[in-house]
Amino acid sequence: MNRKSVKWPLIALGALILLALPWIIRDRYVQHLMVLSCISIILSSSWNLLAGYSGLLNLGHAAFFGIGGYTSALLALKLGLSPWIGLPLGGVMASFFGILLGIPSFRLSGPYLAITTIGFSEILRLVSMNWVSMTRGSLGLYGIPPFTPLKLSEKIFIPFTTEQNVYYIVLVFTVLILFLLKKLIHSEFGISLKSMREDEIGSESIGIHASYYKLMVFMISAFLAGFAGSLYAHYIRLISPEMLSLGETFSVLTMVMVGGLGTLGGPVIGAVLLTFLSEGLRFVEDYAKIDIRLIIYGLLLMLTILFMRNGIAGIWKEIIKPIISKPER
Amino acid sequence: MKRRSMIKMVLGGMLCLIILTYGTSLKAQESIPIGILGPFTGSLAFNAEEMKKGMILAIDEINAKGGVFGRKVELIFGDTEAKPDKGVAAVKKLITRDKVPVVGGGYASSVNIATSEVCQNEKTPIVVAIAISPTITNRGFDYVFRTSPNSPQFLAGMNEWLEKVKKPKTVAFLMENTDYGRDGEKIWSAQSQKVGAKELAHLYFEIGDTDFTTQISKLKELKPEVTFNIASTTEAALIQKQARELNFVTQWIGVGGQFTEAYFKMAGPLCQYAMGSSLEPTLAMKNPIVADFVKSYEAKYQKARPGIFSSQGYDNIMVIVDAIKRTGKLTGDLQKDRDAIRDALRKTSINLTQGKIEFDKNGQVYTVVPSPVQVQLADGKPQLSIIYPPDRAGSTYQEPLPWDKRK
Amino acid sequence: MRAPRRLVESLFLQQVFNGLIVGSLYCLIAIGLTMIFGVMRISNFAHGDFSMLGAYIALYFIAVVSGWFGWIGSLVAAAIGVGIIGFFVERFLFRRLLTRWTDIDIIMLSIGLFILLENGARLVFGPTPKMIPDPFGNTSVNLLVVSTSTLRLLSFVISCVAIFLLQLFLIKTKVGVAIRATSQNRNAALLMGINISFIYSLTFVVGSALAGFGGVLYGTIFAIFPTMGAMPTLKAFAVTILGGMGNIRGAIFGGFILGVAETLGGNYISMQYKNAIGFIMIILVLLVIPNGLFGEKQRT
Repeated sequence: MNRKSVKWPLIALGALILLALPWIIRDRYVQHLMVLSCISIILSSSWNLLAGYSGLLNLGHAAFFGIGGYTSALLALKLGLSPWIGLPLGGVMASFFGILLGIPSFRLSGPYLAITTIGFSEILRLVSMNWVSMTRGSLGLYGIPPFTPLKLSEKIFIPFTTEQNVYYIVLVFTVLILFLLKKLIHSEFGISLKSMREDEIGSESIGIHASYYKLMVFMISAFLAGFAGSLYAHYIRLISPEMLSLGETFSVLTMVMVGGLGTLGGPVIGAVLLTFLSEGLRFVEDYAKIDIRLIIYGLLLMLTILFMRNGIAGIWKEIIKPIISKPER
Repeated sequence: MKRRSMIKMVLGGMLCLIILTYGTSLKAQESIPIGILGPFTGSLAFNAEEMKKGMILAIDEINAKGGVFGRKVELIFGDTEAKPDKGVAAVKKLITRDKVPVVGGGYASSVNIATSEVCQNEKTPIVVAIAISPTITNRGFDYVFRTSPNSPQFLAGMNEWLEKVKKPKTVAFLMENTDYGRDGEKIWSAQSQKVGAKELAHLYFEIGDTDFTTQISKLKELKPEVTFNIASTTEAALIQKQARELNFVTQWIGVGGQFTEAYFKMAGPLCQYAMGSSLEPTLAMKNPIVADFVKSYEAKYQKARPGIFSSQGYDNIMVIVDAIKRTGKLTGDLQKDRDAIRDALRKTSINLTQGKIEFDKNGQVYTVVPSPVQVQLADGKPQLSIIYPPDRAGSTYQEPLPWDKRK
Repeated sequence: MRAPRRLVESLFLQQVFNGLIVGSLYCLIAIGLTMIFGVMRISNFAHGDFSMLGAYIALYFIAVVSGWFGWIGSLVAAAIGVGIIGFFVERFLFRRLLTRWTDIDIIMLSIGLFILLENGARLVFGPTPKMIPDPFGNTSVNLLVVSTSTLRLLSFVISCVAIFLLQLFLIKTKVGVAIRATSQNRNAALLMGINISFIYSLTFVVGSALAGFGGVLYGTIFAIFPTMGAMPTLKAFAVTILGGMGNIRGAIFGGFILGVAETLGGNYISMQYKNAIGFIMIILVLLVIPNGLFGEKQRT
């Protein structure tokens, strides 16, 4: 039995497990974490596209997340638009801002780009705090409508107000997006991105115009982040300027670094791990009466950079994979 | 191989933490759990600590007397981090995982608007402790109650004093850029128009800002008689300090939530003449219930002075436990118990440190009446004193003196 | 306490003055940041947290040695204390990345350090904000057309003196010149026999010590709390970018420019977006001049 023939049954099994999960795990709180994990996977993957595959350090990523959420929420609240339509529109709005941020990236790099992106998201955060007539300021937008129910027939009616049902929506989108990202990474576009990351000047010399690629990748990344933001808005049903804070970006960043920068699986591992870890650490708070959640985050990030630069996905590749794969005959 | 073992340690540690998480939810059902929300981390953490201390005092008293139905009462804390979405996650956990029959606590309006909506959807009664936005109790949610007065109620006494006694000609606003600040701003703006005062400026700042010299310099130029200043402890104290540095004098009026022990420690005698609306327990010592509370608090927490958050936390727990007691018994059927507690809460009528607690048809307490207070110096130390209405006043109002004339 | 009346009241001049005073603090913290970047190419997002640590060290020092002497002493104690911490941070954390020197790695490490320090401080010192008592007893000073507190005025003077002394150090002393040489051209410095390892440590120590020193001034004028380092970090980065990363003179100008821009912008344009002014400025500047107003020192 070679590796190819094992692949498809494994994938089918994996899909089955994922679909059956909410029926196996009935604890609503864990289901809630599963939904959050999926949304985080999309968000982390979008950041990974910029930092991991393109070498563009974006420390203002939370702004895209927030813009998507606010756009979709406002469309639903003020214009009565269906969240299903708001979902891609949130992404589109975010991608406009992605283009805005892409332009400075032509000439800036490293810390200059990083600070510009921070400035970008801080300015937008202040806007969402102060444009009270539109965003209700620090109070945030509450009472955001959930995804409109799907009517399959006269009698079959699926509402999206429970963790379980929303899980299926986000699962479908997560898988879809990961699949599309994989195609993108392995396409000519993706290879050009990687070459631009490694050596921008060299790539220019072989005809890869960095500006075009930077703009495109910011656009795509922002769209995905905004999409995740809309998903979040219609699930939690409330958003606030906090969504655009640096803390959110740092969260995403930690997920990707710990999971594995520049890999497809890295953001997935990191997002799931840190979502569950973060909630799991609450128990330490209850028993030891101290809050070490964020301290663990900081430590984890530092230890990862120092000792596990390629994250858990990197370790998989380096250590575990060589052990389990048989040498080709 | 040093790197590999380091990696193994980190991975192993993470795995352990995850396993431990899900092995710890097996708590004995002996005690009655009450979910408590609060910003126990983040910028408002120290105020949440005050609330917590008052609550723990209440729980100890209750358990010392045998608990409820022979069972101990236990508080399960959920950290909202002062962020609405984290608050939603925290309250969901309390409701679905910890299966609490009732939720209490809560501080900061924006968070509580969100968490109370979740409780309503989940049909779990929630008694909000410290938040003043009117929205919380005017959405027709029957599972939502609040033991704190809302902002119009909170400021009613102060507004009456402004109208009948102070009658300012010019006012200005220096507000925290949050719903706490903006709600109060709306109320006072309306009141200013009512008394015919000119609104000279509306200035803002963020929570976490430390430098207010730009705003104060501008205010100094405009010379308002009264400056409405809604801020929390740190910012409020810094504003007083910086007003001194810039030699700015005005009648500062706030909501009153800033008059915590930390505030007085930070501002010292500089906050003399500042005013607010307060439920400060140490001002109501004539009431035996309050006197007992203050005494027990000081005994338990080594001379720490109980402030408004501690007494509100205490009252919050007492109201909840009183309602649980009045249900007669807890059946063990979670939804039945939650509904029973909700019904019992509706009929609440109990005397506590804030005064009498009764809820109106919206679940809003309407029997608690804060009074306008002013900071006055006694032996060079700042003290709060009620200055209106005359039958409850502890002293008379003092007009703020210019800095060079103060001692 | 009688204070003489002001001759002429001018809001504009008052705001400019306020801005200069705050700007001097920004300078102190930004200079350390830009020095470290110039010599070692490290963008340290935890730099502001060094200020925070300095403030807490001062707090504990003053608890033991009070009064005038205590405050001055605490400035020294904070500088030394944070310098020592900086030494270990550089040696055992950043130095390890020396061989794989990508910007992303270093920035990530410093972000991790930032999260760790901020929350560690909250755990150890508690979230309640604390104050260092004003050694001048909250007096204020009227200078013709502007007024401020005695404390702020003196802090301004102290900051300027510190900056001046640093410039002297960098220009007149052998070690200082070595630092500048390394910043300009590392390989040439190596060839000239300069001990790069020693220079790295020294630069980081001096930069961090400056931050700690500034933290005490910050803490006395404002308040001390675990998250007080975040804003100064961002402001310091804005200043260094304005002035050109690695360019100390640029940082000095940038600090004052930012301080005044914030107070004037807050006063005349919008109080609510005061904190955004710094970011708006750097975005505008960078769009036109990608290396900052005064340009980055070129490195090979």
